[in-house]
Amino acid sequence: MRAVIGTLLSPLQVIAEAPYLLGDEVGEVIATRDSLQGRNAALERRVLELSQVSQQFLALKQENERLRELLGSQARISADVLIAELLGVVPTVNTHQVIIDKGAQAGVAVGQAVIDAEGLFGQIVEVDQYTSRVLQITDVSHAVPVQVNRNGLRSIAGGTGRRDQLELENVPVTADIREGDLLESSGLGGRFPVGYPVGHVSSLIIDATSPYAIVTVRPAAQLDRSRHVLIVFAADEAAAESSVKSSEVQ
Amino acid sequence: MNPSHGGWLILLTIALAMVLAIFHVPESWPQWLGWLRPAWLAMVVFYWVMELPHRLGLISAWVIGLLLDVLYADPLGLNGFLLAAITYVVWRFYERLRMYSIVQQCIVVFLLVLVTESLRIVVQDVAWSRGWSWGVILPALMSMLTWPFVYLVLQRARLQVRVE
Repeated sequence: MRAVIGTLLSPLQVIAEAPYLLGDEVGEVIATRDSLQGRNAALERRVLELSQVSQQFLALKQENERLRELLGSQARISADVLIAELLGVVPTVNTHQVIIDKGAQAGVAVGQAVIDAEGLFGQIVEVDQYTSRVLQITDVSHAVPVQVNRNGLRSIAGGTGRRDQLELENVPVTADIREGDLLESSGLGGRFPVGYPVGHVSSLIIDATSPYAIVTVRPAAQLDRSRHVLIVFAADEAAAESSVKSSEVQ
Repeated sequence: MNPSHGGWLILLTIALAMVLAIFHVPESWPQWLGWLRPAWLAMVVFYWVMELPHRLGLISAWVIGLLLDVLYADPLGLNGFLLAAITYVVWRFYERLRMYSIVQQCIVVFLLVLVTESLRIVVQDVAWSRGWSWGVILPALMSMLTWPFVYLVLQRARLQVRVE
C-alpha cells in the first residue's frame, strides 16, 4: 500500500528536492578551472593513499581467511554495494528518514544496510518502485548492535532524535570504554554487516547513583550532509535468508 | 473532484501544497527550523471546503491525508483522519466561517492546526515513543500567520478560473 502510493508520489518528491538537485548540477557546470584542478589533485592524492591501504588490506584479508580456515570458522562474506543518491528527506522534525533514488527496480530490499563514505548510515525500511526510504541510525526508533573496536565490548547504540548523537544502552559503569573509542557494527542481530564504523564515543558520564554509565556517541556517517550513499547487498542467499529470519525475531 | 468546472485548480493547489509540505531547508541547518513549517495542506483543504463544500468532501480529504502519511512516514491513516476531522468541522460551519473577518479565520486556523498537530504528536508518541514537545505550537502559529496570504492567493485563483 505504502509502496504504491510512494511510487505515485515520487514526482512530487523530485519537484520538492529540485533546488538541491539543480544546485548540484549547476555547481558541476560552473565550477572554475582552478577549483576543478585542485579537487582533481586532492582526489588523486586520496586514491594513492587508499590504494596503498587497500594493498595491505588484501594481504591482511587473505591472511585472515587462512587463519580462519585454520580455526575452522567460516570466512566472512564480502558484500556488494550499490550507489544511490539522496532524493529527499522526511521533513518532520522527529522522524529521521531519507529517500534515495534506487528502488525495487534496482533490487533493493527492506532491511538492507546503508552506509556512506564515513560509516553506517541507516537501513532500508520501505521500497517503492523507483525510490526507497532509509531509516537513519539517529532516529529514536532505531538501534544498532555495536562493539568497541579496541576490545570487542558489545553494546547497543540507540538513536536519540538528534542528528549528531547516539546513546549506548545499559553500559555498566565498570565497562572498559573510554572517550574516543571507535564503535563498529557487531553484526549481531543479523541486520547489519559486521565491521562498519558507527561512531566515536564523545562523552562518558558516570553517575555515582546509577549502575549504568551514560555514553554518548558521535555518528561516523555524515548523516546531515551525505548526498551519496551505498546500499550493502549480502553476497549470497544464505546471508540474506539469515538476515530475514533475524528481522522476524526483531 | 471532477476535473471539469475548474476541478483541476483544486488538484493543482493540493499538489503544490504537498510539494511545499515536503520541501526542506538544507539539512545542516538547525533541526528545530522544521517546526516552523505551516500546515500547508490543512490550509488548502480548509479553504476549498469553506468555499466549495460540495466539491471537497470527507472521502477526498481522507485520501489526500493518506498520501501525506506516505510522504511523512506517519502511521497510515493518521493524516487522513486529521484532514477529515478538519473537513468535518469546516463543512459543519462553512457559512459562518465565510462571514468571518480574516482575523477571525486566522484564529480558527490556529486552533484547528494546534489540535491536529497535538493529536499527531500524541499518536507518534504512542506508536514510537517519540516524546512530546512544546514545538507543536509553532506550526499552528506559522499557519495562522500565513493564512491571509494563502487565502488571498487561492481566492484570486478561484475567481480567475471560476471554479464552482
